[in-house]
Amino acid sequence: MRTGETLLELVRGGGARSLFVVGTGKNVGKTVAMRAIAAAASARGLTVGLTSTGRDGEAIDAADSLAKPRLFLQPGCVVATARNLLPEHPASEMLDVTGWPSASGSICFARVRRAGYFEIAGPPTASAIRECVDRFFSYGCDQAIVDGAQDRVAALAGGGDAVIVATGAASARTIEDAVDDIRALVLRLGVPACDPQKPMLKITGALTASRAAQLVSAREERQIVVRDPTQIAMHGKALLGMRGRLDVRCERPLRVVAATIASIGRDRYFEPRAFADAVAQATGLPTFDVYAGTMVRAA
Amino acid sequence: MKFAGLIDAVTAGALQAAWMNAALSPVSEPGRRAADLLRPFVRGEESDANDRAQLVMRFAGRIDAKRVDAMRDALRGSPDPLPAISRAAMGDVLDDAQFLELQRFLDAAARIDALLDGEEAPLVDEACAALARTLERGRAGKFGFYLADNFDASLSAARADADRAQAEYDSARGRLAQRVAQALGRDEPPAGEFIVMRESVPQLPQGVRAIREAPTYYLCELELDAPAVEALGKRDAANARVAAAEQSARVMLSKNVRDAVQALETLTVRAGQLDLLLAHARFAQRYDCVAATIEPGAGIAFAQARYLPLKAELDAQGRRYEAISIELRDVAVLTGPNMGGKSVALRTCGFIALLAAFGVPVPAQSAALCLFDEIAWLGIGASEDGGGLLSSFAREVVRLQEILSRDSTRMLVLVDEFARTTTPYEGKALLVALIRVLRRRGRVAFIATHLAGIARDARVRHFAVRGLRNIPRARSGDLDAALAALADSMDYAVVEVGESAERHADAIALAHLLGLDEEIVAEAGTVLAEETGMSWIR
Repeated sequence: MRTGETLLELVRGGGARSLFVVGTGKNVGKTVAMRAIAAAASARGLTVGLTSTGRDGEAIDAADSLAKPRLFLQPGCVVATARNLLPEHPASEMLDVTGWPSASGSICFARVRRAGYFEIAGPPTASAIRECVDRFFSYGCDQAIVDGAQDRVAALAGGGDAVIVATGAASARTIEDAVDDIRALVLRLGVPACDPQKPMLKITGALTASRAAQLVSAREERQIVVRDPTQIAMHGKALLGMRGRLDVRCERPLRVVAATIASIGRDRYFEPRAFADAVAQATGLPTFDVYAGTMVRAA
Repeated sequence: MKFAGLIDAVTAGALQAAWMNAALSPVSEPGRRAADLLRPFVRGEESDANDRAQLVMRFAGRIDAKRVDAMRDALRGSPDPLPAISRAAMGDVLDDAQFLELQRFLDAAARIDALLDGEEAPLVDEACAALARTLERGRAGKFGFYLADNFDASLSAARADADRAQAEYDSARGRLAQRVAQALGRDEPPAGEFIVMRESVPQLPQGVRAIREAPTYYLCELELDAPAVEALGKRDAANARVAAAEQSARVMLSKNVRDAVQALETLTVRAGQLDLLLAHARFAQRYDCVAATIEPGAGIAFAQARYLPLKAELDAQGRRYEAISIELRDVAVLTGPNMGGKSVALRTCGFIALLAAFGVPVPAQSAALCLFDEIAWLGIGASEDGGGLLSSFAREVVRLQEILSRDSTRMLVLVDEFARTTTPYEGKALLVALIRVLRRRGRVAFIATHLAGIARDARVRHFAVRGLRNIPRARSGDLDAALAALADSMDYAVVEVGESAERHADAIALAHLLGLDEEIVAEAGTVLAEETGMSWIR
């Protein structure tokens, strides 16, 4: 199984030119998945644009001083990253320096001219991340990839993107907890499109847990329609609790195409096959273990 | 623009100085720095103020709006070069992003020179042009910059060596990864960390190192063999040579920038000044402005002037705006119906005076005025300083005393319905007294009021808004429609009048139009007729 290629095929097979990799927490393998897909895309001759809502590719995690997966990018890739994180060597082709601020300097766009290690820390706002994706295409990229933290999924609101969800031993104490987390995330991001023929109640702004509780107690039977899945401001058990009791729909659905797992956490291990099987069953998504080079589908 | 000294926060709010600032705002950082240095002309600088306004008008007349916009677009898209210039001046080595910023800035300046087409002295001098030519060697695509091979003789060779070394390392590592993949039965040669299940192999194959162990699997990475380690060493050495060559190119380029620092600083300042000029010229073009004549004698006079913030609002709603003409030499009273534009007339005076003070053309057919030391607003729209502790009247009094205590000798005072919330007879007494004091102190002032007989008792000129020509008979019950009907029926012209013109009963008509209860309207009409003999316009 060539996991990077298969993931890329799932993304591009559906026509999506932009991909968001969204995780249930830190260190759940988002960067590893992104790296595998970027490498597969480069090998296929596609020009890749990469950015991140957090910080990727640094050798050592600034939070806990432990090693992190690095990003070795091939010539032609375009990155949107903070100007102070761009390596002096090898020199990159500078495309633009934006006015978007970040802790490590304003965000710039650069094209990789010579293969090397890169750190990526993109803009802090969802709207700027969205604009990054558009700018990648203006620079001739065939595939945009965004490493997106869960709390920044508003950047997905433009629609037309593919989403890969990632979970791992680093973000949960047990396989069951990790599975609950990713099931809730997929449930949230995978909210189906509304049916215009059926009665609906449109929610302006966010659908919060308290609003959902009100609707449940009022025995609301109409479709509850939000603009897009990022408007659902509920996580974990609250979201799972709403399932089956409200018919939540959206105007602009997202397309979640796959899940990935990382069975190695800083403090614990999960059994990889059991973990992948459980995630596949819970989400119904093809589930990849990039570390093991395997993929399982729900039975 | 910095208004400090000319107007305070209350007056800035009343005259919508923020709108003015936005409308006159430059588009680039150098332009914003130039705007920050802008200060109002002061008495004795009338000639300079005239020259500045004439300069703006000549520029606006010579360069059409399309070209002005194109130049502003060039400036808007150009980065601020100052940080890079400052770093170079200090002897620092610039990074590639700074070279890109300098190149973009020089591109913008060259584009502006092309658009000016010889009608102004060119921005880019020979030193800057030489630097632009040097940076041009790094142009990538249309707008990019790359530390290209042709910057340093050693770069090309070092990069070619590094490419070969990278290929050799990729090959050596690839062979190893392929062997490992075969040994582990994987389709994909491993990259980075990977998992090997314990049950799948009796022991880890050669070339694989376990970095962590779990009960059922190993977390592994490739262990480079001797050929791969040797290739890695060569690659790192080659990369180090590339890094040295790249740094050498940056040092050379930074020296070129340092040699042009003075020219770049001059260019930055001139670009900023041009940005400001473009902003003012575009304002003059967009709002059909004229250069006001700045005179030494106190007073303000204009014909067909527009208070632009309101006009913009009305334009957006597709509603009519009526320009006004006023001549004010000392103190005068302004009366007129509610919603007739008294406050707007006052604001127009302040707006025109404010623009003229900065040498900016004014939105009028003609204007002649002096340079005021201060413009002060008293009345509706003033801040609510004092909060709930002070009544409306008390706040007005505090504000008035604060204005009177200022020692500027040439002040434009705009008073909007002072003492409207106290008893009419005391309000009148206070207002007449205020006018007399302002006259004695030589202020230029415009006093809007509903109180009757003020101009006569204070012996000052009296202006009035002409007011309602008629009132539409039908009441629509729709506020927007009522306001539109009112605007169509109102003659907003400000004219000098005699005392007899004061007696109107427009307020009851207005209340009727705006949908006030019929019973109250009828009763009010009866009371008005009984007490004054007047009838309200139906």
